[in-house]
Amino acid sequence: MNAARNRKFFIFLGLLPAMVIYLIFAILPILQSFYFSFMEWDGFSDMKFVGLRNFSDMVEDPLFWNSVKNNIYVVLASVFGQVPIALFIALLLNRKIKGLKIFRTIGFLPVVLSTVVISLTWNLILNSENGLINELLRAIGLGGLAQNWLGDPDWAMISVLGVVIWQFVGLYLIIFLAALQNVPDEVLEAAKMDGANEWTTTWKITVPMIWDTIIVAVILCIAGSLKTFDLIYVMTNGGPAHSTDVMALYMFNETFSQLQYGYGSAVSVFIFFFSLILIAGSRKLLGQKMI
Amino acid sequence: MEPVLDQSTKVKTQEKKKLRWKNPIIYTVLILFALVNAYPILWMVINSFKTSQDFANNQFGLPKEFTLENYFSAWQTANLGTLFTNSIFIVVTATALTVLIGAIASYFLSRFTFKMNKFVYTFFIFGMLIPIHSTLVPMFILMRNIGLLNTPITLIFPYIAFHLPITIFILTSFMKAFPKDIEESAIMDGCGIFRVFWSIILPMSRPALATVLILNFIYNWNEFSFALVLINDPELQTLPLGLASFAGQFTTNYGAQMAGLTMSLVPILAFYLFLEKDIVKGMTAGAVKG
Repeated sequence: MNAARNRKFFIFLGLLPAMVIYLIFAILPILQSFYFSFMEWDGFSDMKFVGLRNFSDMVEDPLFWNSVKNNIYVVLASVFGQVPIALFIALLLNRKIKGLKIFRTIGFLPVVLSTVVISLTWNLILNSENGLINELLRAIGLGGLAQNWLGDPDWAMISVLGVVIWQFVGLYLIIFLAALQNVPDEVLEAAKMDGANEWTTTWKITVPMIWDTIIVAVILCIAGSLKTFDLIYVMTNGGPAHSTDVMALYMFNETFSQLQYGYGSAVSVFIFFFSLILIAGSRKLLGQKMI
Repeated sequence: MEPVLDQSTKVKTQEKKKLRWKNPIIYTVLILFALVNAYPILWMVINSFKTSQDFANNQFGLPKEFTLENYFSAWQTANLGTLFTNSIFIVVTATALTVLIGAIASYFLSRFTFKMNKFVYTFFIFGMLIPIHSTLVPMFILMRNIGLLNTPITLIFPYIAFHLPITIFILTSFMKAFPKDIEESAIMDGCGIFRVFWSIILPMSRPALATVLILNFIYNWNEFSFALVLINDPELQTLPLGLASFAGQFTTNYGAQMAGLTMSLVPILAFYLFLEKDIVKGMTAGAVKG
C-alpha cells in the first residue's frame, strides 16, 4: 500500500515542473486572450466589458481582411512554391551524383539560419540603390528592370514571398530526399527494363510512392506559413501601405501601437481558431491523422 | 536467362549514353539552385570586409583592400558583446531546463501506467498546435502582471513552455521502445524511481536527447517574436532582437550591418557544419512531428 502511494507521489512530482510551466506560460495566455477579447482596454486603465464588439469591429475593418488575404498569399506561395521546387531538386539529386552531400548541405543551410538574419540579409539584397538584385540587373544591361523591391506596393509582397519560399525549400528537400531513398531500386529497374523512360518512371512510380510524404509537406507548409511574422516584421513591417500586412502583424500593430489590448486579443483568438481549423481541415482533407 | 541479361546490358549502355548528355543539364540546374541558396549569404560575408566606397563600386568582386572597420563599428554600435552574452545565457538555460524537465515528464509518461497518463500526454502534445503568435498579446499582459517584463530571465519561461510539447513528444516515443524488464530488474536491486531515470533511462536515451537538445538550441537561438514583445531594455536584448533594432537605426550603414550579421552567423554556421547530420535529423523530426 505504502509503495503504491509513494509511486503516485513520485509520478506527481515528476510531472509537476513541466505541467506548471506549460500551464502558466502556454495554456493560461490562450485562455486569457479569450477573456480579454470581450473587453475594451488600453492596457492601463480599467477594463470595460463590450461583449462581441471587438469581433464586429474586426470583421468590419478592411485592413483586417487585407491581412487575411496576404496571409493566404503566403500559404499559397509556400504550398505551390516550396513543395514543387523542393520535389524537383530532390528528384534531380536522387541518383548517383557527384557532390550530393555538398548540394544537400547548401540546400538545408537557410533552414538553420534565424529569420531575422535572413530578413536583414535580403533587405540588403533587395535594396533599391545598391542591393545585389538591382546591381546584377544593371550589370547585365537590364537596369530598366531594377525596382524598389520592398518600397513599391506592387512589388513588396512578391519580394517577400520570394524570400519566404527561399527560406524553407531546404527543409522539404531533405524530407523528400529521405522519402526517395525508401523507393526500392528494383521497382524502377524493372520499369526501365520494360522500356519506361525516366519521365514515366518519375510520374508513374516515384511520385505516387512518396505521395504520403508530399501530403505531409503540404500540411507542414500550411501550418508553417500561418506563423509568418518575424520575416515580414523585419523586412517591411507590413508596408508599404499595408501591402505586406499579415494577420499576426496586424494584431501586433493594433495592440502595441494603438494600445488596444482587447481588440488585439480578439484578433489573437481569431488567429488561434483560424490556424486550428485550417490545419485540422487540411489534415482531414488530405487524409492525415490529427497529431 | 541469356536474352534477359542481354536486354539489361543494352538498357544500361543506352542509359549511360543518356546520362552523359543529361548530366550537364542536371548539374547546371543543381549548381544554379546551390548558387541561389548560398550566394546571398556569401555576398554579404564578402562585402562585409569592404570599405563603403568599395562596396558601392565593386559589389561582385573580392575586397580591393581588406578592412575590418565595419566589424569594429558593428561591435561597438550594435552592442554585440552584450547581445551574445544575453543570447547564450538565455538559450543555454532554457534548453537545459526544457530537456531536463521534459525528460523527467517523458519518463513518467512512457514508463508508468496511471489513470491520467493518456490525458496528460495529449494535453502536452496539444501545445504543438498552438500558434505562438496568438499568445503574444496575452503573454505580454501576463508577464507585466507578474512583474516579469524586461528581466534577464523573462524569455526562459515562454521558451520552455512552448518547446516542452515537441521535446516530450520525441522523448516519450523514444523511451516507450525500451523493454519493460530493464527497470524491473533495477528496482529489484533496490534502485529508487529517480535513480532508474538518472542512471538507466537517461543514458539509454542519448540519441533522442541529442535531437531535442539541438532542436531547442536552434529554436531558442533564432527566436524573435517573444523577445520583441517582452524585452525592450537594450541591455537585455537577444541577438536577433538586437540585430533587428540595429538595422532599424542604422539603415544606411550597410557595411556595419553586414559585419554584424556575419558575426552572428559564425556560431550557428560552425555548429551546423560540425553537427550537420544531427541538426538535419533533429530539425526535420521537429518539423514533421511538430
